[in-house]
Amino acid sequence: MTGYFVAILTFVSLAVLLGFALNIQWGQAGMINFGLAGFYGVGAYTAAILSKQGVDGVSATVAAIVTTAAISALVSLATIKLREDYLAITTLAFSESVRLVLMNETWLTGGTNGIRDIPRPFVDLVGGERYELFFLAACIVLVAAVYFLLDSVIRSPFGRALRAVREDDVVAATLGKDVLALRVKAFAIGGAVIGLAGALHAFYFTYIDPGEFAGFVTVYAFMSVIVGGKGSNRGLVMGACTVMILLEGTRFLKDFVPFFTAQQAASLRLIMIGTGLILVLIFRPSGLSSEYRLSSPKTADTTS
Amino acid sequence: MMQALLNGLVSGLLIALPAIALSLTYGILNFANFSIGAMITTGAYLAYLVNTTLGAPILVAAPIAAVLLALIAIVIQRGIYRQIRNADHITLLVASMGVAFVLENVIRFFFGADVRTLDVAVARPLSWNGLRLNHEQLLIVTVTLSAMALVAIVLKRTRLGRAMRAISDDPELAEVRGIERARTVDWTWAISGVLTTLAGVLIALDGIVDPLIGTNYLVSVFAAAVIGGIGNPFGAVAGALIIGIVEETSALAVSTTYRQGISFVVLALVLLLRPQGLFGFARIKR
Repeated sequence: MTGYFVAILTFVSLAVLLGFALNIQWGQAGMINFGLAGFYGVGAYTAAILSKQGVDGVSATVAAIVTTAAISALVSLATIKLREDYLAITTLAFSESVRLVLMNETWLTGGTNGIRDIPRPFVDLVGGERYELFFLAACIVLVAAVYFLLDSVIRSPFGRALRAVREDDVVAATLGKDVLALRVKAFAIGGAVIGLAGALHAFYFTYIDPGEFAGFVTVYAFMSVIVGGKGSNRGLVMGACTVMILLEGTRFLKDFVPFFTAQQAASLRLIMIGTGLILVLIFRPSGLSSEYRLSSPKTADTTS
Repeated sequence: MMQALLNGLVSGLLIALPAIALSLTYGILNFANFSIGAMITTGAYLAYLVNTTLGAPILVAAPIAAVLLALIAIVIQRGIYRQIRNADHITLLVASMGVAFVLENVIRFFFGADVRTLDVAVARPLSWNGLRLNHEQLLIVTVTLSAMALVAIVLKRTRLGRAMRAISDDPELAEVRGIERARTVDWTWAISGVLTTLAGVLIALDGIVDPLIGTNYLVSVFAAAVIGGIGNPFGAVAGALIIGIVEETSALAVSTTYRQGISFVVLALVLLLRPQGLFGFARIKR
């Protein structure tokens, strides 16, 4: 039971990291990323492939972060002149292309068989039986570190400029902000966090295949952010927990309704997740918690 | 090469139907409908249901499915999109992704992941000067061209079409002039449902029915609409033909598994070099 609890908390940490990434890309900069799963896959595969080649865990993680951030920056260039809808489709198309590469370039990615036996970092130091607990502790430390880093970014002048771009890029440009540079940076920062989450995913499961980086990952991340309140990292932690409890709680659904097959129960869970997302959008669009603002919310909230 | 060109034209025509649907809803509601792939799939399954369980021939089953999906689309519009129409367009976009997720999993719930086929007779392909054209392709050409002609007539010649174009141009002005927005929007979704069902049935006739048939076309459909200048249904047709031909002819050089990857590259190039689409006009942002 402790093992199960540790596993759940590790999943929550990964979900929180993905949520942080979306929160800076979408929540702060207003840039929508429908291809999160693809970037996650890039991070995980970079870390996995390098580790298999004998690169140590920390360097592999750093490489995953840098690669994902660089690719994110490239993809975000699609918004040079355009509104955010185009970024949504570009990232989605990117994600599909990543999946195709993962499935077909067998020499690099192992194809649909995936990559097995990814070496875990520090496993010699920590030992096998306590490793899960150590890994959870590492995840929590990393989540905290990313939280404080992002928080300082969000409160910095850079963060304010980002929100200005989100609210009205023409005005921001008129005020002398380099809109494109701000957007590319924000997307790259988000990409770096996704890359970190991807590397942790690869090390935790020690096995990855293309099926794990499909659209549902993106939907979960959006769900966490929307439930938690777009733009609020503190709310996000609550949001990610709520989504994970929903996901894990409904896993036991099939014990209560035995007339469903496993496949049907799985679909039903996903239907509930999707419906939940739509209901939150309709009835509580601001989520559980609202975003950080400099002035008091009473006077500041004139944009909606 | 000629064969690839012909196949490309046919698959382009197929992509054109959902691309028109995407452009119409985008023009009127100002958001990109990411559930378009799931709508194609739903249309195909509805037709499959009527075709196999009720035993109706596909020529009867397809129109019934089209009407059903049109109704479902109107229900989704009234139940979801209208409720959040005051939110920014990104929220609507995310909602449409949620809708896609739900539709796809409802299908998985009832039908599982098994591959199915429609109950139709198989016929020998026609051949002409070494070019082969099978009956499904012939059907695709006939159905898509008739559907496009109908859409063009509706847009250019009817009251509804004028209302749609007016709202697409300037929603507030249209409302001031007494155009009923809600009704026009409902009709737009109905047309969208019919077009996506037709596409779904045609895709299913040419191959199989599985829960991902529509989603597999999502990137191509968006690429077509963007190339055509999103919101412009006639541009979408041209964009779809380009995408179809590029996808099929590139199959001569690149593995066919990368079909969607090709669309992604074309899309990225168009966005970087000519963001308003090949047939769109640059607009001054307000």
